[in-house]
This record gives sequence, structure tokens and C-alpha cells, in this order.
Amino acid sequence: MNTKKKIKMSTGYKVFNFFNYMFLLLLVFITVYPMYYIFIVSISSGTYVSRGEVHFLPKGITLSAYKTVFENSDIWRSYLNTIIYTTVGTAINIVLSSMCAYPLSRKDFYGKSVFTFIVAFTMFMSGGMIPLYLVVLKLRLIDTIWAIVLPPAINTFNMIIMRTFFQGIPVSLQESAFLDGANDLQILWKIILPLSKPIMATMVLFYAVQHWNSFFSALIYLNSKSKYPVQILLRNIVIAGEFADQQTSIGNVESNFAVVATNYKYAVIIISVVPILMVYPSLQKHFAKGVMVGALKG
Amino acid sequence: MKKTYVKFAALFLCLIMALSMVTGCAKTADNSGNNANNQATPSQEPGNADEGSGKISEKERVLKVMFGEHPNQPVKNFAPAQQEIFKKTNIKLDFEIVPSSNYEDKKKILLATNNLPDIIKINKNDVNDYGKTGIFLPLMDYVNNDMVHFKEKWDSIPDLIKVTLDGELYGFPVIARNEAKNGFGPVIRVDLLEKHNIETPDTFDELLDALAKLKEIYPDSTPWSMRSGTVKNIQKVAYMLGSGYGDNGIYYDYDVDGGRYVFGPATKEFKNVLSYLNKAFTMGVLDPDYAVSTKQQWEEKLTSGKSFFFLDNSGFGLNYTNNLRKTDPEAKFQVLPILANQDGVRRAIFYATTFTGEMYGISAKVKDPDTVIKFIDWMYSEEGSNITNFGVEGETFELDENGQPQFIADYVVQFKDAQPAPYYAIYSDLGITKLNFSLWACNTMTQFQIEKLTGTWSDLYDEYWSIVGNDPAYVEPVMDPPLTTEEAERVKDILASLNTMLEQEYDKFIMGVKDISEYDVIIDKAIEMGALELEQIYNDALARLQQ
Repeated sequence: MNTKKKIKMSTGYKVFNFFNYMFLLLLVFITVYPMYYIFIVSISSGTYVSRGEVHFLPKGITLSAYKTVFENSDIWRSYLNTIIYTTVGTAINIVLSSMCAYPLSRKDFYGKSVFTFIVAFTMFMSGGMIPLYLVVLKLRLIDTIWAIVLPPAINTFNMIIMRTFFQGIPVSLQESAFLDGANDLQILWKIILPLSKPIMATMVLFYAVQHWNSFFSALIYLNSKSKYPVQILLRNIVIAGEFADQQTSIGNVESNFAVVATNYKYAVIIISVVPILMVYPSLQKHFAKGVMVGALKG
Repeated sequence: MKKTYVKFAALFLCLIMALSMVTGCAKTADNSGNNANNQATPSQEPGNADEGSGKISEKERVLKVMFGEHPNQPVKNFAPAQQEIFKKTNIKLDFEIVPSSNYEDKKKILLATNNLPDIIKINKNDVNDYGKTGIFLPLMDYVNNDMVHFKEKWDSIPDLIKVTLDGELYGFPVIARNEAKNGFGPVIRVDLLEKHNIETPDTFDELLDALAKLKEIYPDSTPWSMRSGTVKNIQKVAYMLGSGYGDNGIYYDYDVDGGRYVFGPATKEFKNVLSYLNKAFTMGVLDPDYAVSTKQQWEEKLTSGKSFFFLDNSGFGLNYTNNLRKTDPEAKFQVLPILANQDGVRRAIFYATTFTGEMYGISAKVKDPDTVIKFIDWMYSEEGSNITNFGVEGETFELDENGQPQFIADYVVQFKDAQPAPYYAIYSDLGITKLNFSLWACNTMTQFQIEKLTGTWSDLYDEYWSIVGNDPAYVEPVMDPPLTTEEAERVKDILASLNTMLEQEYDKFIMGVKDISEYDVIIDKAIEMGALELEQIYNDALARLQQ
């Protein structure tokens, strides 16, 4: 491009470009604005927020909402819990998923189609919540970290994407490694995995986001407040307003007039979203590539 | 490219290393946490092992209690109130706290898998659904034979019989202590009425005139705004306008045949409700967006001076006044005494105060139920209630000359600037009141005391509570009688189709798409779909109970 001489752009092209940019800018605005709005509300003063005067710029800038959030010791502990669940959970996911995906990717794996069917079956039929709860209960995992990280250890869909990617790696590489004396684990560890970084990055992101956002398993499997992840707190704070709103029917007391302030809610949202949001840009390159590679060959 | 891979691989390995460390640590941390918990108790209470006389539990006993946590009042485990309970009774409460937003989900799973903690917060529906399955301890025998404090309250509040199922009690109701009463009521900007010399309305018709005058003066305004959709607002206004709606159409009317259940939307009186709202709508007084406004939009309109009237939880007026006064020091929302409707009748319903529908069930699997019952009975006593609503005697509260608990000012003022309100911070700090585990529970009594001590109380509040308290128009709500399983099923079936049909119609009449005379057709249709059968079921259930 740079070496070529500048080509004169036709009027039509210019007009097209202009509208194209306008359209894309509008698209960017639509995508970014909600996030931006949450941010400016979180740093605005509650009075202006409740009057609906905050639209494009923060009004009466104050960090009091954040101060209130940070004074809540529960949030810090939950934050730490979320980080632990995310890291432990993702590690388990990646190790188990790749160890499941690799054999299923090999043509010479005995009973491959049967196992694939059994695994794929779980994608369409699940045991249901109550049986799952009973299993976790009988395994004595209730109220431990394992109840959070073990039941979703392998996401079938992710595992199949991984298998498809592994299948795309030339078999001859594996054969030559085998001739050189490598066993199956060594092949997986030294040949397959180093060639699969894009898909691994994708999977780490998929799984990590899933763990970061999950709240339901924590809700039903955990009993101690000290083990709750941040999403449960977030949900309680954000939903509570709407929830109280539904309770206006006759027969329910609504005599306490203090309500959770919107700017406080939004501050909590910002705090819980920012870390996982920051992971995206650093992994994005792998992410896009990994998903595409998996999909194309599928 | 290659570099990135290397970098990423390094990152990944680091991650795995970090993880393995974290898992190791997490596990040990868990264990040490548990140990610390178990050991903390004896070391905090030296010498309690050798006594054991005079306390409710001979030996130290842990009871697991599960209830929901409201975000305004975070619950701590073993807060001062629970420590005090332990000192007095030798029972250590271990709270399993679930966010209130998802309490129902968790409760349903525990009930369905019969995996209850010792004590669990439930409601009337759970009793109906699960009472017969035997997962809750049946309590009636205990109430009659072993309980003193609870029995006293049980006998003094006859309406409580409605929480039973076929004569058996499966949960201990949370009973309110000294609760100030309020309810839905008309709230108006009295400062604007004075400013523009508009007479304070005394009837619903005068209300529309007054609002119309305000609309003339402020053409951009929407004088009357609503929140949360048409049905929610019909629930609020219907009873005052001479009909009623309850939660889903069926409600108890004191004035029909000396008091009976009526399906509101299938009566002629209901036409008054719709035509009144229609009048407000056509006069331009009612917010044109009334049917779709959210709570947030509603609040925006009221606190930015775009709306001057609402008919909702009247206590919100106090909040909005405070908000308005930041820019307009004269502004003032105040509740009006209930207005007379087109028949000249003034009527309104209080919120349920003595019993709010919350109960604590006891697991049928609980060990040594006698002690648990004794403990529950103690929770209903003056001593138990003082501790679970005011904290520690001598430290956070004292008894006045009448033996009533009063918060100690020195303790309370520390929380002067707490968010979202000082009283929530105090409740949370001490582990008290109805959002914690308390059976004879305070709400407004403690709140008023604290607000008076911290200075957030103002004359406006006194005025508000005296208007509501002295208004003879308010009556107590009637708790629905327990239905049998078949009845409940039938009611659900009828209501589902009936309300689907009806809810599509209301807005047409309010907005004037259909003339009110056409509502007769709707009434016939509703009766055809089982409206009278509903009334029959409820009235029969009530009669059965009264026998």
C-alpha cells in the first residue's frame, strides 16, 4: 500500500466512506455507551443520579460510592474467593479438557466413536439441578471450593472445539515423535500442546469468564458467607432494588425507605467487571484466531 | 509470532504454578478457619464448660439457621447479639446466609432434597407445599404444652391460625413488636398547593381538579406518575375507589355482606376504578407513560419536580422531600388523609404489620427438639426480643422506667454518617431486627429511636406518622385462609387464564380506547371464566377455618 502512488478517491467512494464511518461510529457508540454510562453514574453524586440528570458527563463528581463499596469487607473477601475459584477452576478445566480432547482426536483410539457419543450426549441431556445437587451433597463437596470447580470441570462444547483443533495437527508429527520413543503423554505435552496455543488461549478465556461470572452454583452449593464469590454480592446489591420493587403488593411491609443507591450499584458493577475486562485485550489475538480455527475445521 | 507464543506459554505455566499454590493454601486456610471457629467459642467464654445449670441448653449447642440477607443490612456471623444469646442460653447460632435476591432458589433446592439446616426461614406457600411431606417438625403439641411466651402471643393474635395447615403448625411466625403502621396513601406536594393557593383536596374528584390546576401552571409536568405497570397501580388505588384487587384480583372486602372475599375486576364497582383513572388520563393529569414507567423513572420525575403526586407507599414522600430540598428548600411531599371516593367513603388498607408472612420452620431431623423449642420460646420472650432487637443490655441499650428497651446514645452516634442509613449499619453491626434472626422483631420501633438519636429525624416525620396513625380510614389487611392442595391448584388455574384476559383490557379502558360501558362484557366474561368460583373457594376456606 505504502509503496503505491496515492490513488485519487472518487466522490462516490468518499461519500460511501463518510457514511460508513458514521455508521460504524454509531455502532461503537451503541456498544460503548452503556458501559460508559455505568461508569459516569458510579462517579456522580446520588442526587443528580436520582433526578435523572446524568446523561453524557458525570455530574457532581464524587468517589463516595466507591468509598462505600471498599468499606464493605465482604466485597474484598468475595473478590479473593472469585480469583481463587477462577484460577483453580480454569486450571482444572484446561488440564481435564485437553486430556479428554486428545484421545478423542486420535483416529487409532479404540472405541472413539462410542466415547464421543457418550460425551456428546451430555450436551443435550443433563441430569437436572436436584440430582446434581444430591450428587454433590453425597460426595460431601457442599460448602467447599470443590463444589464450585469440579462439577463444571469439562465443558463438552469447549472440549469438542479443542478436539477439532487437535485433529487438524498433522498425524505425521505424532508418528515421528512416536518413532523417536515418545509415549502418548509426551506427545500430548511436547507436540500437541505447544502447537495448540491459540486454542488454549481461547479456552482459558472461555473458562475463566465462565467462572468469573458464575453465581448459581456458588449460591446453591455454598453455605458460608465467607466463601461467596463477588458475583453473589453483586447480584444481591443490583437485583435488590428491582426485587423490593416487586414487593409492593398489599401485605408486604415496605416501611423502610432507604434504598440501594444507583451509583453504589454501578460502582459495584464496575469493580467486578474491570478485571475480567482487562484480560480480553491481551488475549484477543489468540482468541479470535482460536475460535476461527476451531470452527473452520469443525 | 513465536515470541508471543513463548510469552503466552510462560504466562500459562505461571498461572498453573500459582494455581497449585493457591489450591494448597486454600485447603489449609479452610481447615484452620474451621478450627479457629470451633476453638474461638470456649476461649471467649471461659468457664462455661463446667456450668450448665439454668440455661436453656445444658451443653453448648450449635444451631444452624438459614435466612436471606438484604443488601442494606449485611449479616455477620456471631455478632454481639448472637454472642449475648450464647451467653444466656448456651446456644450458638450458626447463620447460613443466602442473598435475598436468590433466597427462593436455594430454599427450594434444600426443601426438595430434604437437606434442611436446623432452622430455616420459610413462608406460607412452603408450608402448603411441603408441610405434609414431613420435613418440618410439627409444632402444635409443643405450642400447647411446652411454650409460654409464644403461646401468649398465639392466643392474643387469632389471625395467626391462618398459617396452619389442617390444624397443624409447621413454622414459627415472625411477629412484629410495636410496629408503626403505614400503607399505600395519596402523597402530594403540599408546598405547591400553598404557593398557588390551591385548596387541599378532600375527595378523589377534588384531587383531579387540584392536579389539573398544577398542570395548567406547569404545562410540561405530568402531575401524577406511577411505577411498575398498570396492575401494580390498580392494586394500590382499587380499594380506595370502592372496589379492590388484592394481589391478583381476589381480595377481602370488609364492606360487602359484612366482610367476604370478592374478585374485584368482576364487579360493577371496578368500573369506578377504571373510569376514574380514565378521567385522570384524559385530563392530562396522569402520566401518559404510566403503564411502562419503571421505579427509577418514577423517582426521577418526583425528585426533579416534574410530578407532584403519587399514590403508593406514602413513606417514600419523606425520602423524596429530602432529595428535593437539596435544590428547593421549600419543597415538601406529605401524605393526605385518605380521600373520599365517589360514594363518599374513605377506605384504605394498612400493610400487614403484626405478621408479615415470614416464618421459621424447624427441620424434622433436628436433634433434641425439646431444647430447640425451649430456645425458640425464649426468643419470643421480652429478654430474647430485647437481645435480638437492641443488642447487649448495658452496652447498646438500657431499660427505661417502663421496662422498655432504649438504645444508648453513645453507641448509636458512632454510626451517624453510615450508608445507606445509620439504622441499617447498627442492625448489621449488632446482628438484630427482622432482617436478622429475630422472632418477636422490631422494625420501626428501633428505626425511630435511632433516627431520633442521630438527628435524621425531623418534624416532617412526626407529621407523617401522626397523619397516617390518626386516619380512621385505614383497616388491617386480612390474611388469606389456608387452601387445600386441590383448591390451590384450581385457584392457580383459574387465575392464570382470567388475569391474562383481564390484564389486556385495563389499559384500553384507562386510555379510552374502549368506553367504560363496554366493561360489562368483560365482567360477564370473567364470571364465565370462574371469577365466582374463586370467591367461593376463598369464602369456603375462611368459613372452614372459623368453625
